[in-house]
Amino acid sequence: MYYTATVLSNVSTVSSDVSTLTEGVANLTSTISDLAAITGDLADRFNVSIGDLQERLAAIEASLAVRETLIVGTTDSVELTLDPAQAYDYFGWNILQQMGSTLVSVKPGSSTGADFVPDLALSWNSSTDLKTWDFTLRQGITLPGGTTLGATQVKYSFDRAIGLIPKIPEGAPAGLGYDLIFNRTEVLSTYKVRFHLNFPFSPFLGILSARSSTIVDPAYAPMGVQVNYTAGNARTSTPVAFVGPYKLANWVRVGGKDTEIKLDANPNYWNLASGYPKLKHIIFRFYPDAATLRLAIEAGDVDMAFRHISPTDALDLETNPNLRVWWGTGAFIQYLCFQEKYAPFNNRKVRLAIAAAVNRTLVTETVFLGLSKPLYSIIPPGMMGHTEAFKDAGMDTNYTMTRDLLTQAGYGPSNPLAFDLWYESSGHYPNSADQALLYKQAIEAAWPGVITVTLKSADWASYRSNRNNEIMQAYVYGWYPDYVDPDDYSFLYWATWLHTNYYNSTYNPGGYAQYQQQVALYDQARATTNTTIRTQRYAQIDAIAVNQSSVVPLYVSTAWAVTKPSVYGIYLDITQDMRYWLISK
Amino acid sequence: MGLRTYIVTRILLTIPTLLLLLTTVFLIMRVLPGDPVALHFEKKATEEQMDQMRRLLGLDKPLWQQYTDYLAGIFDIGYLLTYGYPNLGYSMEVTSEAVGAQIFSAFPATLELAIYSMIIASVMGILLGVVASKSYNSILDHLIRGLGTVAYAVPIFFLGIVLQLIFGVYLHWLPTGLRISPTIEPPATITGLYTVDSLLEGNGFKFLESLKALALPSLTLGIVLSGIFVRLTRMNMLETLRLDFVTAARARGLRESTVTYNYALRNAFLPILTMLGLQFAMLLGGAILTETTFSWPGLGRYIVQRINFRDYTAIQGAVVMFGLFVTIVSLAVDVLYAYFDPRIRL
Repeated sequence: MYYTATVLSNVSTVSSDVSTLTEGVANLTSTISDLAAITGDLADRFNVSIGDLQERLAAIEASLAVRETLIVGTTDSVELTLDPAQAYDYFGWNILQQMGSTLVSVKPGSSTGADFVPDLALSWNSSTDLKTWDFTLRQGITLPGGTTLGATQVKYSFDRAIGLIPKIPEGAPAGLGYDLIFNRTEVLSTYKVRFHLNFPFSPFLGILSARSSTIVDPAYAPMGVQVNYTAGNARTSTPVAFVGPYKLANWVRVGGKDTEIKLDANPNYWNLASGYPKLKHIIFRFYPDAATLRLAIEAGDVDMAFRHISPTDALDLETNPNLRVWWGTGAFIQYLCFQEKYAPFNNRKVRLAIAAAVNRTLVTETVFLGLSKPLYSIIPPGMMGHTEAFKDAGMDTNYTMTRDLLTQAGYGPSNPLAFDLWYESSGHYPNSADQALLYKQAIEAAWPGVITVTLKSADWASYRSNRNNEIMQAYVYGWYPDYVDPDDYSFLYWATWLHTNYYNSTYNPGGYAQYQQQVALYDQARATTNTTIRTQRYAQIDAIAVNQSSVVPLYVSTAWAVTKPSVYGIYLDITQDMRYWLISK
Repeated sequence: MGLRTYIVTRILLTIPTLLLLLTTVFLIMRVLPGDPVALHFEKKATEEQMDQMRRLLGLDKPLWQQYTDYLAGIFDIGYLLTYGYPNLGYSMEVTSEAVGAQIFSAFPATLELAIYSMIIASVMGILLGVVASKSYNSILDHLIRGLGTVAYAVPIFFLGIVLQLIFGVYLHWLPTGLRISPTIEPPATITGLYTVDSLLEGNGFKFLESLKALALPSLTLGIVLSGIFVRLTRMNMLETLRLDFVTAARARGLRESTVTYNYALRNAFLPILTMLGLQFAMLLGGAILTETTFSWPGLGRYIVQRINFRDYTAIQGAVVMFGLFVTIVSLAVDVLYAYFDPRIRL
């Protein structure tokens, strides 16, 4: 009986094998038939010209390339450079992330942004005072030039970035305060590196995961010299060590704007064995506005549209069966700033009055169709330290409060309040004009006939210049995090580059002590890893911010991308990073 | 005046025209609000940093010196021979990039779009104009006149989006933007015109792909421009068809098509030729809108981007390039006009 069963089992196996073989032969035949159809039969081949063959080859190459390529449509452009010592824009950082690696990174899909995973570093630890951080590097990573990546290159990268700060005060390392945070970098051994910090700094892993901490290749990253775009030479256009999933294959800019970026899979990627990147090529196509980008994704010209399909279009495209809309967590925020150098906003009560009149929900529901959420703390929801401080203080569409405060400040029907509200007009921020109009309407509705808001706008370059010259009375600004930690949001209340003069004792003598208190609380939060203490400190900072209302949180965005249905592997988490190497099609 | 003298005179007249344009643009850029020096800085710069940037951009010099330096650069023949493009200075935003190089990399896209649009506009406009004149006062005539008016009045961006929706989104026949599919390597640069370079490379596939990409933008611009040709051709043909020599030709028993195209159209063509030259200027203005609608990486889009940054040198360079192009086309039209109509040379 056992023997019969074994025979039957073998027969079944053989039958299955024959079936598989038949299927294989069928597939092979089909492939041969396809090949024959593409290239023509042998006899024909002798009769075709070289030109015809080249043409066919180009068609075959194009067909193969389509399958292995993700075409991304965007309205973004690298602002200036792909040098981590200088780049400080979303798209530039996103391209850097595809090519280079940092010591640590945030786990894809993280809800808090605090789930750090090894990247070029395998392990790490810090001293109890949080001033010394040791990292053990991954071994066997080879740079395209043949050099092995080690602690020397890591030290070189940070020394170079910090050394360039005086020369590039606009760069990300300067913006993130590398020169203040880092004391020195020490090579402990071939694969061990130590960072000595100037003060206890708990969000240090966040800084290391930022694109400004991307490791560079000394062969392309001269010490003391920033690397600029070089027409016709992608390799010398960036100093980044190509150890990430992709390498820069082509980069064309015309008039300081990208017209072409192509990334090719990097054979030197340290994580190649895990099957990444999924696709061989990423090509970016650049569109002037959201409307043309929408047309491109609908027409199938691009596989994916990311930044910026408008909220209305994103919701509309959800009903399109040929497309898929991906939704994610947002970390981009906008806030209202008051210039305290002059009247009327050198008066705290006026600032509070206007902050109380702001109708966030009107904007998030009308302009963003519910895709953005009202924000009542400068730290977005989901992140440690987020509160509802402005809401709890009743400062949202609270017209009674507005009238009371304005009356106390001496304003009323006999002494009306008029001020300019500025917004950016060249698309740097989403739907700015619509937002501004609704803010104006809501604020004026708080006390009709007494409050008059005049809307003024400027393109991004002029807007920034106006901010620096402190000529805008009230203005809407925005923030993308450099690293996902409350440390990178909370300081916005007193950021000197916002030029509110809140931090200036001459213009804000009454609030200066509170500003100093906020800074002290901020430093305390930085100096501990205890999340309870950190949460408390950020809440205290928020409470003071409500009382001063120099910078008023408005809303936090939602992230979205639109793709063809065949595209998958997209993570739109709180980091706002688009990790193209995880995407398949 | 012989034809040669006429041409030389026209070329000489081109120089003060361009100088006037250049001077006007130079001065207008300087009185516009917005300081390119301040726009350079993300954060508030110190006076020292501002001065340093001003020196780097050459804006520390007196206006007359900036102007003469600029002129000297343009007429620097050595530079032109070395780099293949005139010295138009360096971009005021990306100070390491020569404006000449930027413009010459963007210009072929605009030129290619202009050529194909003009072909479409003139062929469509002249043919419809002739047909309308031949069916004077009929329904067809009214229909074509109406079409001509609508074509002339319709905003370029609107027509562009409609064509993109029909042929790109719904029918999936044609791409909605850019010069060639991103998965295809563009042809090796010889002229910078993708269709021409594909042919020179002997690659029909790339030629077809380039042509597909060109179809919608050039059709958009061509249709809009064709409106004026329809009306002009119809009007001139109606006048010419009434003249005695046409009646005489018919009386001699010539075929109607011969009378229409060889006799009447040939004589009605001179004003159309003038309009062709004038329309080139309008075409380049329209190219700015078309390039934006179709994400076409040409000189029009370049200008729009540069204006945001108060990039004086880039805008000056681009406007001069446009001016030069229009002047050359006008010159060519004048020469052709003189060739066709000997009275001009008298």
